[in-house]
Amino acid sequence: MALTKPSTPSIFKKKSTTSLSPMASAASYLSALSQADARAREQMNGSPTSTPALSISSSVTSSSEDTVLHEEDDNRDGLALPARPPTSEQVFTTVHTEFGHCANEKFRMTSQHTRGEPVPGHVDQDPPYYILLSTYISYLILIVLGHIRDFLGKRFRASSYHHLMPRDGYAPLNSDFDSFYTRRLKTRMDECFSQPVTGVAGRTIVLLDRMSPDYNHTQLFTGTRTRALNISSYNYLGFAQARGGCADAVEESIKRYGVSTCGSRLEGGSSDLHTISEALVAKFVGMEDALISSMGFATNSTFIPALVGKGCLVISDELNHASIRFGVRISGASVRMFKHNDMKALESLLREVISQGQPKTHRPWKKILVIVEGLYSMEGTLVNLPAIIELKKKYKFYLFVDEAHSVGAMGPHGRGVADYFGINPRKIDVLMGTFTKSFGAAGGYIAGSKTLIDRLRVHGHSGPYAEAMTPPVLIQVVASMASIMGVKPPQPHASSGGLRLTHAPPPVEEEYHHPGPAPHSALPLWLALPQELSLGTEGATRLRRLAFNSRYLHNGLIKLGFITYGHPASPIVPLLLFNPGKMCMFHRMMKDRQTPIIVVVVAYPATPLVTSRVRFCVSAAHTKEDIDTILQACDEVGDVLDLKHGIPRSERWTIDEISSRAVELAGMMK
Amino acid sequence: MADTINLTTTTTSSTLEPVFSFLAQALTTLETTFYKLPGSAVIQRYVKSSHQNDPGRTILELILVVFAIRTLLQSRTRADRTGSHFIQFNKKEIDELVDEWAPEPLGAPLTPSEQYDLHALPIVAGQNGVKPKLVSTGKTAVNLASLNFAGLAGNEYIKERAVETLRKYGLGSCGPPGFYGTLDVHMDLERDIADFLGTEASILYSQGFSTVSSVIPAFCKRGDIIVADRGVNFAIQKGIQISRSTVRWYDHNDLESLEAVLQSIEKDRKKRRGPLTRRFIITEGIFERDGAMVDLPKIIELKYKYKYRLLLDESYSFGAVGRTGRGLTEIYNVPASKVDMLIGSCAIGLCAGGGFCAGSNIVVDHQRINGPSFVFSAAMPALLAVSASEGINIFRSTPSIFETLQENVRAARAILDKVEYLTIPSHPASPLIHIQIKPAYSPAASTSNALSSPSSSSSVGTPAPLSPPPSTAGSLHPVSAAMLTPTKHTRDHHEKLLLHPEVIEAEERLLQEIVDECLSQNVMVTKAKRLRGQENVEARPGLKLAISAGLTRKEIEKAVGVVKAVCVKVLGRRK
Repeated sequence: MALTKPSTPSIFKKKSTTSLSPMASAASYLSALSQADARAREQMNGSPTSTPALSISSSVTSSSEDTVLHEEDDNRDGLALPARPPTSEQVFTTVHTEFGHCANEKFRMTSQHTRGEPVPGHVDQDPPYYILLSTYISYLILIVLGHIRDFLGKRFRASSYHHLMPRDGYAPLNSDFDSFYTRRLKTRMDECFSQPVTGVAGRTIVLLDRMSPDYNHTQLFTGTRTRALNISSYNYLGFAQARGGCADAVEESIKRYGVSTCGSRLEGGSSDLHTISEALVAKFVGMEDALISSMGFATNSTFIPALVGKGCLVISDELNHASIRFGVRISGASVRMFKHNDMKALESLLREVISQGQPKTHRPWKKILVIVEGLYSMEGTLVNLPAIIELKKKYKFYLFVDEAHSVGAMGPHGRGVADYFGINPRKIDVLMGTFTKSFGAAGGYIAGSKTLIDRLRVHGHSGPYAEAMTPPVLIQVVASMASIMGVKPPQPHASSGGLRLTHAPPPVEEEYHHPGPAPHSALPLWLALPQELSLGTEGATRLRRLAFNSRYLHNGLIKLGFITYGHPASPIVPLLLFNPGKMCMFHRMMKDRQTPIIVVVVAYPATPLVTSRVRFCVSAAHTKEDIDTILQACDEVGDVLDLKHGIPRSERWTIDEISSRAVELAGMMK
Repeated sequence: MADTINLTTTTTSSTLEPVFSFLAQALTTLETTFYKLPGSAVIQRYVKSSHQNDPGRTILELILVVFAIRTLLQSRTRADRTGSHFIQFNKKEIDELVDEWAPEPLGAPLTPSEQYDLHALPIVAGQNGVKPKLVSTGKTAVNLASLNFAGLAGNEYIKERAVETLRKYGLGSCGPPGFYGTLDVHMDLERDIADFLGTEASILYSQGFSTVSSVIPAFCKRGDIIVADRGVNFAIQKGIQISRSTVRWYDHNDLESLEAVLQSIEKDRKKRRGPLTRRFIITEGIFERDGAMVDLPKIIELKYKYKYRLLLDESYSFGAVGRTGRGLTEIYNVPASKVDMLIGSCAIGLCAGGGFCAGSNIVVDHQRINGPSFVFSAAMPALLAVSASEGINIFRSTPSIFETLQENVRAARAILDKVEYLTIPSHPASPLIHIQIKPAYSPAASTSNALSSPSSSSSVGTPAPLSPPPSTAGSLHPVSAAMLTPTKHTRDHHEKLLLHPEVIEAEERLLQEIVDECLSQNVMVTKAKRLRGQENVEARPGLKLAISAGLTRKEIEKAVGVVKAVCVKVLGRRK
C-alpha cells in the first residue's frame, strides 16, 4: 500500500469534477465518516497497526515472500493482515490479500436447495414514490442539460464536435444522436468504469490511481496505487491466485507446453491437454462429453448457430446475456422472449408457439430451444430449473442452460444449478459455462451428449476458424476443477493412460447422484497437485465459504434495510440505488474509506432505466470480517445517500447485531 | 295505463335520485380539485378555446389520447396474437397439438466421413511448435499445419516472462475490461501494438476470431453501406450479417469489380439523394480462404476517391509478412494510419492469444463502449498479453526472422509450383500456402457425367478437362465443342461444377488421403477445414500449409518435398 493517499479525495473536494448538487455536504460527511470508521476500527480490532510484526511469517507459507505485496509493511487499510492474528496450530497456505484467512468453521454453509421448497422468483421491490420521481427527474435534467450543451457546443466549440459531424463527404463514425447517452450521461460517471488495476484480482486488488483534469474526458494516472477490498471481480471460488497449487501447476504447464497451441482445434491446434480437460469438464458437470472454447462470449456466439437455424425457434429469457443474443441472431432462428424467470409466461408462450407453428406458414417448428441462464449476472436470480424440467417433459423443447455464473458457484459440489436443485444434469440438453468466473481462468465450455458435442466440434464456428484454448488456461481449469472434485489416488490394478473416460452413461434418474472424485487418470500424468487440493478438502471449504459469505451479505443488507434483488444463495448481490447520481457517490464513498472497497455500479442500458444498482460479487476469498467491513460501509453510506427503503425500520437490525449474529442471519431463508 | 307509466317513471326517477345527486356532487368536487391543481387554468383555457374554434378537433384529440393510451398498454410480445395469421385454438386443441408435435433431434450424428476426419485430427502431445510429438504416432513430425509463422511457439524467453507474469497477476482477469478487468499489462500491449504499427491507439479483444465480428457491428449499423470482398473469412461474414447493414459484394480480390461496385453505389446515391451514410470497404490482407494478397495501395486510392472507410483484416498477415512483420502496410509502404480499422490476431501473429483493432483514438474509444465482445467478455489473461508484448519486442529486435520466413516460403513455393497436379492460389510471399487440386485432375473431370442431370444436359454438356484439347474436335457434340473454347458461360459452369457437393466430397476424400499419407511420413499438414454450406461462397477444398521461420530451409525443402511426393502419388494414381 502506497503511503501517500491517492489524489482522489482532493478531486472529490473540487467542486468542478461533478455537477451533482449535494456534493459539498456529502463530501464533509464523507471525511467525517472515514475518520469515524478509522476510530471505530482501532477500537474494535485492538489497533491492528500495532500487530504487523508477528503476522506474515507465521500465517503465510514461505512461498509468499516474493509476492507483489511485500512492499506494504503498513496495514492502515486493514487489508494486508488478518484481523485476528493466527494461532500456532492454524496454517494458512494462501496469501491473505489474495485469499483471506478464515479458520472459523462456523462461517461455512452448504449451497443447496431444500427439496419441495418454492424457488423464489424475481420480485421487483418498489422504492417510495419520491425516489422514483426524483430518479426520473434526474434523468430528465441530465438529458435536458446534455441537449443544451450539445446545442451550444456545436455553435461555439465546433472543433470538439468535429468527429460527430459529416465531414468531406464522410458520415460521422458515431452520430451525435447515437452517442448522446455515452457523451452526456456516462462520461459524468466515467470514474466508476474501466478502472485499470494491477496484480491479482483476488480478495483485494490494487488500483492504479487516476484523476481527470477535464471532466472525465481524459484520465491521467497519478502514479500512486491503492489496495482495495475487491467485491467486484468474478472470483467466486477465489481461484484468482498467483500462489498456491493451481498457479504452480500452471507454471509447470507453461514450461512443458509453452503459451500457445498455434491454430484452431481442427487445423493443427489440438493438444493432448484439450482432450484431457474436455473429459474432465464433462465429468465435472456430469455430462457425456464437453468441448472447450477459448473465449466465454464466443462459446455462445459461435456454437448456438450450430444448434439451431432456419425453421427453429429459440425461446429466450428477456434478461439473457448479450452473447446469447449475438449467437441467436447469427443462427437465423426465430426468437421469442419471455418475462424474466416467469414460468407461467414461459408455459403460455410455449403453448402459443407450438400450436401456431412457424409464422405465416404454420408449419410445425423443427425444434424449439429454450435458453436460460443458471444465475443472472445483473439480477442475481436463480433459474427455476425444477419448473422448467417439468415443462420440458410436457412440451418437448430442448433446454440450453448458460451456467456462466453458476458453475462452481452454486450447489453443494459446485456443479452449478442442477447440483443446487439436486437435478440430474443429463435432463438438460446443453450445459454451457465459462471458466472466467469460478475457476480463475478464461474461456468457456459446452457439455452435452457425445453425438451433439461431436457435431458442435465439426459444425460450430470455433472448430475450424477460432484459435484453440492455450495450455496455461487449460491447466488452470484442470487444476481448479480437480481440486473441487478431489482426485482418487491411483489404483494399483487400474490400467493407466486411458485419457478418454469410458464410463457407460447411467440411466437418467430422478435423483442426482454425485459422481465422486475424479480418477487419477483424468489428469495429466505430470500434474502433481498438493495434498490439500487433491483431497478436495480445500475445494469443499471454498464452496462452503462462498455459500456462507453470499447468504451473510445478502441477508445482512436486507436486515440493514436495503432493497436487494436475487436469490439469497447467489454470490451476486445487487443493491438498488435508483438515482443515477447516487451511483457515482456510492462508488466514490466506498473507495475513499479508510479500508477502500471497490464496487461495480451498473445502470441503463445494462439495467432498466430506474433500477440503477451496485452489484457485489461475493467470493470464497472473503473472510467474515471482510463482509462485516462491507456491511458497515454500506450501512454508513446508505444512511448518507438515503438508500434504505427495504424492510420497515422496526424489523431492521443494527450493524453490531448483524455482525454478532452472523451465523444465525446467514441461515435465515429470507 | 298512462297512470302506471307515470308511476313507474316517478319511481325510477325517485330511486335514481340519490345516484344523480351523488354524480353531480362528485362532478363538482372533481371540478374544484381540478381547478386547485396548479396549471389547470391553462388546460381549461386551451380546451375551451380549441373547442370553440373547431369542435371536431376536440374529438380528434380525444381519439388521439385514447390511441396513445392503448399503444402504451399493448405489450410488444402480444402483437402476434392480433395479427391476421393468428389462429384461435381452445385449450384442448392446443394440448393435442402439443402432444402431436415431434421435434427434430437437436444435433444429428456426424456423417461417416466427418467422423473419420474428426478422428484423424493430429493431436500434439506436449509443446506445439515446429517439430511437435504426436499422440497418434508417438513420433515427432515436421509441422506445416499449426500457425507459427514467426516461430515464436515455445520461445524460452516468452515462457519465462509468462511465468513471471503468472506469479504477479495470477491467471484469469476475472472481469470484463469495464469492471476492473483492465490490467496495466493490457494497456501496455495496446500501446505496443499501436506503436509497432504506427497508429494512434489499439484495443485488445480476448479472442482473435471474435475480434472482427465484433468490430464490424460496432461501426456498421442498419442503413450503412458495406462493400466487401466475396471471399472474406467467416468471421467477417458473420460480423457483416449481424451488423444488418446493406452489403454489396465484389469479386474476390478483383479491384476492378470493386471499383464498378463503388461506382454503381455512387450512381444510386446520386439518383436517390438520400442522407449521407457511413460506407465501409471490408477486405483481408492475406485471405484466409486462399492466401491471396490484396493490392493495398490501389484499395487505399479507391477508398479516398469514393470516400469510404477501410476495414482491413490482417489476421493472417500481421506477424507474417513485411520486413519486420508489420503486415501489409509494411510490404506496400503505406502508413497504417491510412487504414481506418486494422485488425490483427495476437493468437496467430504473436503465438499468444486474442486479437486487436488498431486505428485512431476515435475508432478505438468507440469500440470500448460499443464492441460487443469487448464489453461483454472477460479481459484476456495477463500472461497472454505479456507474451504478445514480448512477441512484438522480438519482431523489433530480430527482423531477420522475416527474412528467414520469406526464404522458407520461396523454397516451398519453388517445389510446389512445379507440381503438375496442383494449383496454388496463394500469393508468392504468403507464408500461408493453399494447395488445390488442378481442375483437370479433380474428380469433377470424371464424375461430371454422372452429376449433370438429364434435364439440364442440353445446356450443360460434358465438360472435358480444359487441357489438353482432344484431337477429335471435329466429331464433337456441339455443346462439348463449346466447352473447349472457354466462354464466360462455360467457365462459370465449370467453376460451379467444381463446387458441386459431391465433387467437394470426393476432393476432400483425396486430400484426406494426402494428409494421412504425409502424417505417416512424419509431416503434419492439414486440410483447410470449412463449414460447408454456411459460407457466403463455397471455397474449393485444399490443403493449408503454414510455413514457419522456426524451420531451416533444408527442413522446409524436405517436408514440402514429402508433401509434393505424396500429392503426385495420390493424384497420379487416379490417372
